[in-house]
Amino acid sequence: MNRLWIVVGVAFGAALAAGHPCRAQVRGTIFGPGSRSYPVAVSPLKNLSTNASATDLGARFATIVDRDLTLSGFFKILDRAAFIEKPDASGYTADTINFDNWSVIGALALVKGAYTVEGDNLTLEARLFDVYQRKQLAGRRYHGSVTEIRRMANKFADEILAQFTGERGPFDSRISFVSTRDAKLNEVYVMSLDEGDLQQVTKGQTINVSPSWGPDSRSLLFTSYKRHNPDLYTIDLVSGRETLLSQRPGLNLGGKWSPDGSLIAVTVEDNGNSEIVLLDRSGKLVRRLTDNWSIDVSPSWSPDGRQIAFCSNRTGGPQIYVMSTDGGEARRLSFNGNYNTSPAWAPKGDHIAYVSRLDGGFNLFTMKVDGSDVRQLTQSAGNNEDPSWAPDGRYIVFASSRTGHKKLFVTDAAGASQVQLTHGGGDDTSPAWSKWLE
Amino acid sequence: MGKRLIGVVVVGLLVAVVGSGCSSKKKGPEAGAAAGGVGEEGLGAGSSLERAKQGMQPGEEGPLKDIHYAFDSSELDEPSRVTLRDNGNWLKDHTTAKVEVEGHCDERGTVEYNLALGAKRARAAKDYLVTLGVASDHLTTISYGEELPLCHEHTEDCWQRNRRAHFVVLGE
Repeated sequence: MNRLWIVVGVAFGAALAAGHPCRAQVRGTIFGPGSRSYPVAVSPLKNLSTNASATDLGARFATIVDRDLTLSGFFKILDRAAFIEKPDASGYTADTINFDNWSVIGALALVKGAYTVEGDNLTLEARLFDVYQRKQLAGRRYHGSVTEIRRMANKFADEILAQFTGERGPFDSRISFVSTRDAKLNEVYVMSLDEGDLQQVTKGQTINVSPSWGPDSRSLLFTSYKRHNPDLYTIDLVSGRETLLSQRPGLNLGGKWSPDGSLIAVTVEDNGNSEIVLLDRSGKLVRRLTDNWSIDVSPSWSPDGRQIAFCSNRTGGPQIYVMSTDGGEARRLSFNGNYNTSPAWAPKGDHIAYVSRLDGGFNLFTMKVDGSDVRQLTQSAGNNEDPSWAPDGRYIVFASSRTGHKKLFVTDAAGASQVQLTHGGGDDTSPAWSKWLE
Repeated sequence: MGKRLIGVVVVGLLVAVVGSGCSSKKKGPEAGAAAGGVGEEGLGAGSSLERAKQGMQPGEEGPLKDIHYAFDSSELDEPSRVTLRDNGNWLKDHTTAKVEVEGHCDERGTVEYNLALGAKRARAAKDYLVTLGVASDHLTTISYGEELPLCHEHTEDCWQRNRRAHFVVLGE
C-alpha cells in the first residue's frame, strides 16, 4: 500500500514538473497499433550550419516524424513545448544527452540529431534513444537536397517502427487519390504520408477516377474521360509523360499492374457488360478472365500474381470473388451481407480488405483469403470506402465521410487506430498507397 | 445438347457483330483520325459531362425524357418502359437523330461498381429502344456512374433522381 502511494506520488510530481496530466511510467504496457501507449519525444534537430539560413529544418523534421508516429498508432507523442533540453544548447549523442531531462517529462523514447546545410545540400543525422536504458537504439545519416527533408523524416520514422515493432514502417511512400479540392470534377493527386509534397497529376478538367501505382512507384494508371470515353492512361510522375493504354469503346476502368509489372488487370465493357481482362504493357489483350452477363469490376492482384480478387454481382448483389490469373472458375469469398465491394489484397498475402454495406452504411472489413475470420474495421462513422494497403501490410488508407466531406484516413489492419490523413475542402477519394520509394 | 451449344454460339456471334457495329460509332470528338476512315462526329454541349465542365447542372431534359432505376438495378420498370416508348416515338419521327444514352447512379456504393452499373443501365435503355424499332447505330451509350449527380443531398428522394438514364440528342 505504501509503495503504491510512493509510485503515484513520483508520477504526480513528474506530471507537475512537465505540466502534464498524471500518467504512470510503466514499462511493459500493452503495445500495439491503437494503444498510443509508448511515450516518445521527438526533439527538433540541432542546426550545425555555419550560415543562418534553413533554421526551421530541424523543427520540420520533428513535425513530420511526429505526424508519422501518430499515424502508426503505437506512440503517444509528447508536446514539444514541455521539452527541457533545447536542441541548440544540448548534445545529441548518448553520452551528451541529459536523460533525466527526458525521463522527467515522461519520455521512454527520444529522437535527437543534427543537420548541416551547404548551398542546397542537406546532411542530416538522426538518432533514436531508449531513455530508461540511456542508450542509442538506432542512428542514421542522410544526404540529399534540402527539399528531401520530408523523405529523410519518413525514412527515419520507418526505422523507429522497425526498432520497436521488428518491422519497417510504411511512411517512405506516397498516396495517390482523386479530389475535388481544386475543381468541380475529380482530378488525380499524389502526396507524401504527412500530406506534404502535394502534386496535382491531371489537369484535364474532366472526370478522372481510380488511380493506382505502377510497379516502380514512379507512374500511375488512371481512367479519364478526356476523350469523352472512360479510357485507361498511364502517366510518368517524373517526366509528366502520359500514354493512352486502353481506349476500347465503353469502360477501361480500375487498371492494376501485376506485382511483376508485366500485366495490367482492367475492367472493359462488352456491350454494356463489364468484364475483367489482362492487358500487356502496351495495352494489347492477353487474356479475358471473366465471361458472364454480370458486373465484374475492381480487380486486385494477390502478391504472388497468381490470383485476382474482384467484385461481381453474378449471384445478385455485388460480392467478392477470387480466381486464377490463368483463367478458370471464380470462387466466392464473401457471404455476409448483400453488398460487398472493393477488394484489396494485402501485400503479405494473408488478408483481403473490402467494403460492406450494413444497415445502409458502408464500412471496411477484412477477411482471410479463404473468406474466413471476417472482421469489421470501421463502425458506422459516415461511409468508409476504397481501402488500399500500406506496403508493410499493417495499415490501410481509406476514404471516409465521417467529418462531412469525404477525406482520407489511415487505420491499422485491426481498425484500432484511425487517423485523419487529409484536410481542407472538397472530397478526397480512391486512395492508393504506393510501395516503398527506393 | 450440341444443337443448343451451336445456338449459343450463333447468338453470341450475332451479339458480337451487332455490338461491334454500334461500338465503332461511339467515338469521342478526337477519335476520327485515329480510327482511320470513320467519319468524325462532333458532340454538342448537351452531354452531362460537357455541361458539368462548364459549371452547369448536368443533363437537363430535352425532347427525350429521363428514366429511373431501383437501387443496384438496371431493370426497366413499367413507368420507364412507358417513357422509353414516348422517346422511341420521337426518335422514329426524327429518323436522322443520333442519341447518346447516359447511365447514371446514386452516390452509394463504389465508384467502379457504379460505373459498371451505369453502363448496364444505359445499355438496357438502348436495347429496349432498339426492340421498339429505333436504329441501333443511331444510339450510343456512356456510363458516368456516380460522377455527375443531378442532386447532391443524401436522401432517398435525391438518390432516386440520380439513378437515371439520360438521353442526349447529338444531332439530327
